Amino acid sequence: MNEALERALVDAGIAARVEVRERLAILIPRGNDANLKSEAQRRVVLALAAERGFTHVALELLD
Amino acid sequence: MSETETAAHKERALEEWLNQQGSVLVGYSGGVDSAYLACVAREVLGSDNMLAVVGRSAAYPQQQWDHALAVAARFDLPLVDVPTDELDNPLYAANPNNRCFHCKTVLWRTLMPLAVNRGLAVVVDGTNADDIADYRPGHRAATEHGVRSPLVEIGLTKSEIRTLSRQRGIPGWANPSSPCLASRLPYGFAVTIERLAQVERAEAALRALGISGDMRVRHHGDLARVELGHDELARWLAPAARRALRRAVVSSGFQRVALDLRGFRSGSLNVLSGVTTT
Repeated sequence: MNEALERALVDAGIAARVEVRERLAILIPRGNDANLKSEAQRRVVLALAAERGFTHVALELLD
Repeated sequence: MSETETAAHKERALEEWLNQQGSVLVGYSGGVDSAYLACVAREVLGSDNMLAVVGRSAAYPQQQWDHALAVAARFDLPLVDVPTDELDNPLYAANPNNRCFHCKTVLWRTLMPLAVNRGLAVVVDGTNADDIADYRPGHRAATEHGVRSPLVEIGLTKSEIRTLSRQRGIPGWANPSSPCLASRLPYGFAVTIERLAQVERAEAALRALGISGDMRVRHHGDLARVELGHDELARWLAPAARRALRRAVVSSGFQRVALDLRGFRSGSLNVLSGVTTT
């Protein structure tokens, strides 16, 4: 878990839990709003994660 | 000089280079570069003076073998496949960041005696001029074994090889790069036959969904991280598409599936492990 990135994502309007595997952040969406279809939104997420040392960000696909 | 003219000029230089060698054994995978090199060698040297050899293991996808066979049949390439046993080498199976060096060491140790036995003067590979800028420990193994890389020596780039391959009608000239399946496992995460098979099944399932172009399934244990080309990414983030993608990957043996938000990156796992920065 990375609380700093989670808080930054919430501030950006994205509700997701963050699981950390070294420099990979896995976003586990809370609800249906974190679909990140917009490229601009994805860029924001990548930038927020990069500021916190992550090189990779992936959105978990849930059932 | 236009790019096409430059490419044609370099191809003539390649033909001359091959003629000077007299005979070659081509380390052949069926990928764009080695297919091009094998086809030119076949044309210049004839079927008695060249041999295309595929090293096959669990890390070599079946789909690529099928393609390699099809190209060989179409261009009448003399072809043999030899089993390589890199997974039996603990130095390879432990998946260090110089894994490719250990893999290629096995390959060239197998192919060099074969060239001697067949009376072929030189062993060559399909490394191209662009590859040299990448992190390529496998290339060091080639150099140490005396393998020549004529596409590098002539300065042929990937783009030029694609242009020349298209002109020759070589199938797959536009195919994305297709490194071995072990490249989907992060360094330090052991290479096993089962993990390679999981990746191969998952990528085949995604291709069956209609995903084209660059795509990788990166193996993170219970989780598959899917990298798609930038043109595909938004489409597969739509709810119905996400469900289909997830089902396809889960059916291949992964418990969890995640879609990389940056999309496909060649050498992505080199960045993740800190071997390279971009």
